[in-house]
Amino acid sequence: MAMTRLARWAARSPAPVFAAIGPGRQAETERLLARPGLRRAATPRDAAILLVAGDLPGDTAEALSHVHDQLPHPRATLRWQADAPDAIAARIETAWRDICAGERDEDDHLPDEPPNAWKGIGPHGQGGKGMMGGTPYGRPMAMTGTDIRDGLRLDRYTARFGPFLPMLPPGLVLQVTLQGDVICDLDVQAPPLAQAADADAPDLCAARMLRLLGLDRAAHRVMHGQSARALWLRGAVPKRIGRIDGTSARDRLIAWLAGDTVSVAPPDLPALLHGAEWAEAMLILASLPPSALIRAARGVEAA
Amino acid sequence: MTALLTLAVLATLLGGTLFAVALDRAYLPLLALFTRQRVETEAPDRLNRDLAPAWYLALAAIGIAVVPFAPDLALIDSPVGIVIWGSCEALIVVTVFLHGWSPNAPFPLIGAYRYAAIGLPVMLPSMFVLIAAALPAESLSLVAIVDSQREVWNVIRQPLGLPLFMVVALAMTLRGPMDYADAADIATGTSAEDSGAGRAVWQIARLAMLVSVSAIAATVFLGGPLGPVLPGPVWLWLKTGALMALTVWIGNRVARTTPSRMLTILWVVLLPLSFLHLLISGLIEL
Repeated sequence: MAMTRLARWAARSPAPVFAAIGPGRQAETERLLARPGLRRAATPRDAAILLVAGDLPGDTAEALSHVHDQLPHPRATLRWQADAPDAIAARIETAWRDICAGERDEDDHLPDEPPNAWKGIGPHGQGGKGMMGGTPYGRPMAMTGTDIRDGLRLDRYTARFGPFLPMLPPGLVLQVTLQGDVICDLDVQAPPLAQAADADAPDLCAARMLRLLGLDRAAHRVMHGQSARALWLRGAVPKRIGRIDGTSARDRLIAWLAGDTVSVAPPDLPALLHGAEWAEAMLILASLPPSALIRAARGVEAA
Repeated sequence: MTALLTLAVLATLLGGTLFAVALDRAYLPLLALFTRQRVETEAPDRLNRDLAPAWYLALAAIGIAVVPFAPDLALIDSPVGIVIWGSCEALIVVTVFLHGWSPNAPFPLIGAYRYAAIGLPVMLPSMFVLIAAALPAESLSLVAIVDSQREVWNVIRQPLGLPLFMVVALAMTLRGPMDYADAADIATGTSAEDSGAGRAVWQIARLAMLVSVSAIAATVFLGGPLGPVLPGPVWLWLKTGALMALTVWIGNRVARTTPSRMLTILWVVLLPLSFLHLLISGLIEL
């Protein structure tokens, strides 16, 4: 099929990739996505290629299918097992060209239906009972609850986040109850997947925090061995957040930027994140080396 | 003359947006988005989903329409040009909120509320800074404000004005340290569910707003079309382009703190600072 001019231009842009990272593959995948020619998509909606790195455990299969179905058409799934980084990067770029040429696409894995049946139920067919109750549009109504800060009764919104959200460690599933963006309840439903020691590399850890601080280019530079060259880096991380045995999130960022490996005792995750705002919680999680996070979440599950 | 001016305003907005895309190195990724499917979320607010980027573009166009392209020559030569721009600023908060509201999904909604919370304390210093710039001109008209800078530019007369207005510019264009609506911790927030052309148009509207807010800053603080040798519009383009590059540079280099910390900084530091700025500027003019 002859490509249109627009498709030819599109094929020359960096391939937008959303990665589902399996056990032991975090460091490799993060380094892969920092290559020129590839672009790390922040949401599946912005991606064309779903990269599945390594062997995902069976209980993540449904979540992976949901992520897959969120990618806009045309799309492709690539499984990365034993290929060298050069080989998988070449496969991604070929797949992106095929997608732009309209020669490659995948159907949905799951039927496109709401999580709970709601159509036609209730007096207005919205799935609820009257104005309140039931599951309008398939979801339980958010009800007010006591606020953990100042006693204002605000709507509580409960949802599961993970296991493939790019700002969470791969595999971690959190059930979070939010009031606004304050975390008032948190339950670790699945621990992060085990990662090798290379995931604790200072440049990768620093890059994860830099991306949350809106410094994608600085993250890129740090991963390529250059200095971050950013302003207000330390000051932007609030001093008090993420304190574990004497070091705060800010201290750990400073250490990583200086090229030092950080090790901390496994923290009590729910206690650390309870009462934090969403943005703070994501910074705290990114400020923990993956090895500590994995041990922390395992501890919660065992208890 | 009006037709010519309309053409000049539209050409500036278009050319400026293309320049902004180049500054962001976003040509190919933006083009690629137009080849992608536009996915629909469950039970979206379709009207506002489609209107939000259109409002954003329209506000950028209205903003640049009050900018004088030569001394004494603006497409909308309003006696209250500053107020028209101020209303554009306020309506951006509504636009970004609707963009986050319409997909009916959690991350966009968190981004929407966050931006509404940040937007108010950003608007207030902006108003003080613009009113301070109107004092030496003794008028709210942008043409008069340009005229008042024939001797000395406002950036020198009121040195705090431009730095404070840069904070507003970053917030208006959802950029870097002030990008609380489309931040990374909420998977690009109000844009998290956008794909294909819808995502591209929102990004283009953001870049168009960068042109307008920079043109306003160039007019209010850098004398707009005033300058030797070259014709007025060329000076305006040069100053606008320089401010756009500065905004992009700051956006790429300065870290974004957490929303609650930024709220404290805005209410406790920037707002009193802008009031002090207004007070000092007023006393100088007495």
